[in-house]
Amino acid sequence: MRSYAVQRAGLAVVQLAVLSVLVFVLTSLLPGDAAEMRFTETLTPSQVAALRAELGLDQPPAERFVHWLGNVLTGDLGTSLISGGPVADIVRDSIGATLVLTLTTLAVVVPLAVALGIAMGTRENGRLDRAITSVTLALSAIPDFVIAVVLVAVFALKLGWLPATWVGGDLLASPALLILPVGVLLGRTVCLLSRQVRAGTIAALNAEYVTQARRLGVPRRQLLLRHVLPNAAVPGVQELARTGDTLLGGVLVVEAIFAIPGFATALVDGVETRDVPTVQGLTLVLAVAALLINLGADLVCNRLVPRTEALR
Amino acid sequence: MSVLRGAAGWVAVALCVVPLAVAVLGPFLPYDARAGLPYSSEGLLGTDGLGRDVLGLLLVGGRTALGMAFGAVVMAYLVGGLVGLTAASTRHRWLDEAMMRPLDVLLPLPSLLVISVVAVGWQASAPAITVAVAMVNVPTVARLVRAAALDAASGPVVEALRMQRESWFTIQLGYVGRSVLGPVAADLGTRITLAVFLVASVNFLGLGLSPTAPDWAVSVSRNREGLLLQPWSVLAPALLLVSFTLGFNLLADRLVHRSRRLAGSPA
Amino acid sequence: MWRVSEALGRRGFLGMAGGAGLAAIAGCGADGGAAAQPKQGGRLRAVYAGGGAKEVLDPHVQSLFVDIARHKAIYEKLVELGPDLRPVGRLASTWEHDATATTWRFTLRDATFHDGAKLVADDVLYSLSRIVDPAVPERVAQSSLATLDLKRSKAIGASKVELVLTQPNAEFPALLAGIGTHIVRDGFKDPAKPVGTGAFRHVSFEAGRSLVASRYDGYWDEPARIEELHILSADSEARATAVQGGQAEYANDMTATFARTAEAGKTVRIVASKASTMQAFVMKVDRPPFDNPDVRLAFKLVADRQRLVDVVLAGRGEVGNDLFGKGYQYYPADLPQLERDVDRAKSLLAKAGLAGKEIEIFTADASAGFVEAATLFAEQVAEAGVRLKVTTGSPQTYAKDLLTKGAIGNHRSGAMPIPQYVTDRLLSHSPFNVTHWRRPVFDAAFAAARAVTSEAERSAKYGVLQKTVRDEGGILAWGLPDYLIAVSAKVQGVQAVPPNTLDQGRFDKVWLA
Repeated sequence: MRSYAVQRAGLAVVQLAVLSVLVFVLTSLLPGDAAEMRFTETLTPSQVAALRAELGLDQPPAERFVHWLGNVLTGDLGTSLISGGPVADIVRDSIGATLVLTLTTLAVVVPLAVALGIAMGTRENGRLDRAITSVTLALSAIPDFVIAVVLVAVFALKLGWLPATWVGGDLLASPALLILPVGVLLGRTVCLLSRQVRAGTIAALNAEYVTQARRLGVPRRQLLLRHVLPNAAVPGVQELARTGDTLLGGVLVVEAIFAIPGFATALVDGVETRDVPTVQGLTLVLAVAALLINLGADLVCNRLVPRTEALR
Repeated sequence: MSVLRGAAGWVAVALCVVPLAVAVLGPFLPYDARAGLPYSSEGLLGTDGLGRDVLGLLLVGGRTALGMAFGAVVMAYLVGGLVGLTAASTRHRWLDEAMMRPLDVLLPLPSLLVISVVAVGWQASAPAITVAVAMVNVPTVARLVRAAALDAASGPVVEALRMQRESWFTIQLGYVGRSVLGPVAADLGTRITLAVFLVASVNFLGLGLSPTAPDWAVSVSRNREGLLLQPWSVLAPALLLVSFTLGFNLLADRLVHRSRRLAGSPA
Repeated sequence: MWRVSEALGRRGFLGMAGGAGLAAIAGCGADGGAAAQPKQGGRLRAVYAGGGAKEVLDPHVQSLFVDIARHKAIYEKLVELGPDLRPVGRLASTWEHDATATTWRFTLRDATFHDGAKLVADDVLYSLSRIVDPAVPERVAQSSLATLDLKRSKAIGASKVELVLTQPNAEFPALLAGIGTHIVRDGFKDPAKPVGTGAFRHVSFEAGRSLVASRYDGYWDEPARIEELHILSADSEARATAVQGGQAEYANDMTATFARTAEAGKTVRIVASKASTMQAFVMKVDRPPFDNPDVRLAFKLVADRQRLVDVVLAGRGEVGNDLFGKGYQYYPADLPQLERDVDRAKSLLAKAGLAGKEIEIFTADASAGFVEAATLFAEQVAEAGVRLKVTTGSPQTYAKDLLTKGAIGNHRSGAMPIPQYVTDRLLSHSPFNVTHWRRPVFDAAFAAARAVTSEAERSAKYGVLQKTVRDEGGILAWGLPDYLIAVSAKVQGVQAVPPNTLDQGRFDKVWLA
């Protein structure tokens, strides 16, 4: 187990390095640079040229990348070309909102999906199963921006029950700010997750050892919790890692519509303003998080069902 | 087809076919779109923010909304399929690794972010976004094809073909290729839906096509501010998009159900 | 539902007010039916278009509307601009100049900074030297204050400062009202700890999100009425939702469509500063096809300005007359409005050999209405027999790209004094000369006019120059959009004046009913 984790970690480091180079090359290829983006019609072209020199943008790209890499290895994510402040600040400010959003969504979707999945799996092809399947399928088939626009129009603008944006909002003061964005993210993720749990439940219920346990008279609840659930959870956990992908993508749309100053928005803003250090810093953090999630998911699966097949 | 048994099946087909028909046939309909004032109620469905007839825009907006997604999926399967088949069929492990490992590099990054970044860089370029959506799907498709091909390639049929000195092409594109089609078809539904979502989201965020493009997702985004003045400018394109993704998902789901049940494995 | 007749009705009203453009713009009783007595206290949340990491707390580096609003609350300038863009004294109570308009003396007001120190001449000299410091090129007022000779400028006592210029300029006070010219304390080093003379003192700032400021009771002018000011940032959609949903009381720079929606409801009021910005197509006069004056005139004739205003501005604005600055000081009076004449345009274009040919218009979604206007204009140009192809570029680099690319493109200008506009765009060495209008004779005439100390004479000279630009230049100003602000029903005291003027965004004069 340990050598497996070490092997994965080593691979992850290589992946991160390649990713960093790729992101740097891509953002450097984009037309225009941070000096031009910073002030469009308030600085004269000669001032912009001087600014470019000040920001170090006239150095050759390879040199700039190596410089950045050196800084990262000592823990310094560099300075933003646009705000002049540390990239670490941008990461810290933006990550809070996105983390709260994604963690809240996960905290709601996991129990919900597990409950739904087991309910569906134990009543395979029954009325409840088909009903829940249709509803979740329908929800996941609607683009999240449509769900968001409809929810805002109905609950915020027409009825006025919930806040429509996070403008000037303080999460601690008004946690209701979370309801609509999490609702949108929920719609996309609950279907796949519950389906996977359902599939795992059905497979487990039909497995040999379960039928054996049933014959031995093990009570139903104990059967479900100790025998079925761990196996049903495996495809669920793997799906959870993929849910991370859906969530981080869905978060961008949600952040845009609800004016949430989160991670995804900061990344796209960074690209728009050609703030290369910020883009690299954010991507690095994102990639590390994604790799950790995947690694974690694989390790959990391994623990739940210690067979090598589960890892593929 | 037995998959269409019951009203639900027909509903799914209708939901799916109507937007497709609008997207494909719409541009050819001789509809005279009259220009008017912004967000007015002139014409059947009113006008949008620029005074353009909403129905007229609907007829030409599907080309990009659905066309880009389909194009991307086709591209993803061509490239991913080729990579996956080659990786699975080669005798040299290093070639297999060399082809698949680089694809893993992009996996940690969420698709929408990658495409948004590309869209920001190559503004208003439909081909660029199509290629980006395709590339984001290539790793998954390649893995899928490789896994299915490995299953087939390690079987006795391929051994026999090889002993009969059949060419690489006949083996790969003939037998193995055909046996890969099954899993690919099962995946198709998700892939197309995902592509439509990605393209629509990028266009909705204003990162993709030009803001005055008649594209359905762009219309939903740009006309939001006029929602209370002329709701159809937002609802009509949104309904078409939702109708397609809903119908397609339902259909694909039923197809997979059907094939799984026939194959005997639990759904 | 809106009908064509309503748009005409609006046009009729504006037509009548057009001659007295000054009255339409001036902030006289902007809030009809305001409550009688201003009330004290309360918290106001204002939301502006955001700039993410570009938002700054250093006033000398400001570039966005939201920066300007924030710094206005905390810092002040020597001079500000009135509703007709005439200089109005703020920290400088009066000023005088010598016969050549090269040496100026400003008398400073009795004001205190937030840390208790009195405003003295050395603060002014330090601020100006900080602005023009060549080691920091991002200080935005550097180029406009390039003619300031600080070595020969000095303090005269604690409350008078003498500033010397290298060239005569009767418009010098207006330059001190430009962006990035705020007065900071002598020795000011850390922008993160703002200390100004303004009506509010800084409490906290988060770039891309908000500035929180609280009332400063030692303000030299009448202290603010509200207790706490939040200036937040959000994009257009979010601003609209925030002010409608009660999350903000003031939303800046709203679209005409939002104005329509708001007026249909009752919770939000629109304060409209009429015809206070300019939307134009700009043609480069030094390259084909627009190097031919007939072609420029043809394009100006073929534009259906009213339709552009009706569609792109949703009727919220006036038609433009190919000249910047309607209603501002120095705008020539009695300028006849150019009317649409498709036939004449067609014949001019045919004569120039352009019938049936294709020209590209280079646009981008850099500002609201750009792409829409270009698309609509293309339809209009087609009526004269020429194909106008719309190509889009990147919004972030559009302003810079337009300086070199594209024979014709879009241009939007905010409010500024007319001489400032000319200096920025219409001189041979102007930094933002998108029409490539380079005429040494024009430059010389402008410099001469600017040195004339008699306002009447100066005005006449400017008038001649402006007529030349209007007739021969490459600016096709088709519309003068209204500047729209949305306020919640309980906000009073908001003036309808052009942006960048003194009474715009003056949160010290606002109160909550």
